[in-house]
Amino acid sequence: MTLFTIVVRGLIRRPVRTGLTLVGISIGIAAVIALVGMAWGYEKSMVRHLDVMGIDVVVSNMSGGIMPKVYDASLEEKIGKLPRVKESTSVLMQMLSVEDAPMMMVSGREWAGFTWSQLKVVEGRMPKDGSENALVLGRLAAEVLKKKVGDTVQIDAMEIPVVGIVDGNAVVENGAIILSLSVMQEATGNQGKVNFIDLQLVPDTTKAQTDELCKQIKEIFPEGRAMVASEVVGTSQGFRIARAMSWSTSLLAIIVGVLGVMNTMLMTVFERTHEIGILLAVGWKRRRIVYMVLWESALLGFLGGVAGVTLGAIGLKILETTPAIRGLLEPDLGPQLIFISVGIAVVVGVVSGLYPAWRSSRLSPSLAMNG
Amino acid sequence: MTETLKAGSNELVYEAIGLKKQFDGGKVIALRGVDLQIRQGEFVAIIGSSGCGKSTLLQMLGSLDKPSEGVLNYRGKSIPDMPDPSDYRAHEIGFVFQAFHLLPTFTVVENVQIPMFEGALSRSQRKERAVELLESVGLGHRLNHFPSELSGGERQRVAIARGLANKPSVVLADEPTGNLDSQSAKSIIELLLQLHRDLGVTLVLVTHDLTIAERATRTVRMKDGLVISDQLSIPPTDSP
Repeated sequence: MTLFTIVVRGLIRRPVRTGLTLVGISIGIAAVIALVGMAWGYEKSMVRHLDVMGIDVVVSNMSGGIMPKVYDASLEEKIGKLPRVKESTSVLMQMLSVEDAPMMMVSGREWAGFTWSQLKVVEGRMPKDGSENALVLGRLAAEVLKKKVGDTVQIDAMEIPVVGIVDGNAVVENGAIILSLSVMQEATGNQGKVNFIDLQLVPDTTKAQTDELCKQIKEIFPEGRAMVASEVVGTSQGFRIARAMSWSTSLLAIIVGVLGVMNTMLMTVFERTHEIGILLAVGWKRRRIVYMVLWESALLGFLGGVAGVTLGAIGLKILETTPAIRGLLEPDLGPQLIFISVGIAVVVGVVSGLYPAWRSSRLSPSLAMNG
Repeated sequence: MTETLKAGSNELVYEAIGLKKQFDGGKVIALRGVDLQIRQGEFVAIIGSSGCGKSTLLQMLGSLDKPSEGVLNYRGKSIPDMPDPSDYRAHEIGFVFQAFHLLPTFTVVENVQIPMFEGALSRSQRKERAVELLESVGLGHRLNHFPSELSGGERQRVAIARGLANKPSVVLADEPTGNLDSQSAKSIIELLLQLHRDLGVTLVLVTHDLTIAERATRTVRMKDGLVISDQLSIPPTDSP
C-alpha cells in the first residue's frame, strides 16, 4: 500500500460524487478544447490557406471587422511595381450568408492571378475569362450548399452559375466560393474596390528586404498595412477577438470546475474529519494529510482533464461536420492544446484542494476523532 | 494485594505536575491539577467513574490534546512544547481506543500499515511487518478482510497490532474492552498483558473495570479531575 492507494481509495469511496465531479470538470475542459481548438483551428486554417496559395505579403486596410474594409483597386498597379515583388493579385473577399449556409467565404480573385493557379478542377471547368458570370465551388462548399455543376448560387442579388468544383488543398480554400474579381465586385456593389492585394516575392527575399517593402507600401497606402502572410492571422482584430472570446468563455468553464472540485474536496474533508483525526492520532504529519488531500484533488483534476479532452475531441469532430463550420476551419487538436487542457485541469484540481487541505491540516486530533 | 506506591527503579517516562485541563473557557474542568509519574515497563491502570478525567489525561499523555496548565513531560521533554508531536505519536506511543477507530475502507493488513507511513520502511517491509503483527495477535487468517467483516474482539486485535506498528515504547489504551463482550474483553486483556511482558512496553490503560485494574502493576484512581490514590498492585500470578 502506498499513499497513492490511500488517495485512490479516498476517491472511489463515494463513486457517484466523484463521478459527478469528473463530469463537471470534463465539461469545463471539453469547452476549453472545443472553443480554443476552434479558434486555433481557424488561425491554422487561414495560415495554411495563405501558404497553399503562395502568398508572401498581404496588403489590406487597417480598419474593418472580420474582413478589412475595401479600398481602391488601382493601388495594385503601384504596389506591384515595387522592388522584390514577383507577382501581385487583387482579391475582394467577404464572409457572406449564402442561401441556407450561415457564413461562407466568398473570394473574388483577379482573373489569371497566381491564386487561381493553385486550384485543381475536380469536376466541370474554370470560368472562361474574368468577365464570365460564373463561379467555382471548393469541394466542401459544394457539399455544404448541396450544389453541383450547372446549379446556380445566389450571391447577394445575383444568380451565378456553378461551372466547376475545385480542390484547393486547404480547408479554407475547399470551403470557399471562388469567382472572378469583376463578377464579385458587381455582385456585391463594390465596383473598382478590393480588400486584399496578395503579393508573391522573388525567391530568396530576406526578412530585411521584406520589411523594407512593407515600409514602402505603407508610404503608398498610409491607411493600409502590409504584413508577412504568417503574421496576418495573429494580428488580425477578428482573430484576436475570437481568441479572447474562446479563452474568456473557457475561463468561466474553468471557474465552474474549480468550484465543483472545491465543493467535492470540502465535502470529503468534512466527511472524513474522523478519519483524519485517526491518521493524526497514529502519527501522520499534518503535511502528509495536506499531500493526501491535494493529491486527491489533483488526481480528480487529471482524470477530469483526460475525460474532458476526449469529450472535447468528440465535440470538435461533430462541430467540424456542422454546416456552419464545415469548410471554414479545421479544428486544431494538437498535442499542445491537449497538454495545456490537462495541465489546466490538474491546476484546477490542486487550486481547488488548497483550502480543503489547509482546513484538514488544522484539525485537532482529539476533536476530529470525537466529532 | 496492594501496597503504597514507592519510587520505581526504572527510567521516568511520564511526569505530570499540576496538570489542568479546562474546556469551554473554564466552564468545564476535566483535570484540576494532576501529579503523576510513570516509569518504563510499568502497567498502570487509571480507574475512576465516567467523567473523572481519566480519558482526558490519556489524551494529554498521547499529545492528542494540550493541557491548559501544568507540566507534562515525556522522558524529560515537554509534550505540549514538542515542535512536531506527530513524531512522538508515530514512534514513541501506540494508541488503542475503545471504539477501535479502524479505517473502514482499508483492509486489516492495510490498517496496520497506516502508522508506518511515517517510518523508514519500504512498501514491502511495511506489509511484511503488518502481517507479522497480525499473526502475533492471532489474525493471520484475516489479513484481507475489512473491519466490518470482523467481530469486536478481532477489530480490537487489529487496533492493537496497529498500535504496535512502529515499535512504540508506550501503549496508551483507552477503555480497550469497553465495547466488547466479556469473553473478548478477557482475551484482549491477556493479549495486552502478553505484549507488556514480552515486549517490555509501558502500558497505560484507562478502565472503569476493577477486575482489569487488578491485573495491572499499579493502579491510579481518579475522581473529579484529581488523582485520589496511586498504589502498586501485586497482579495474580495465574491467568484467570
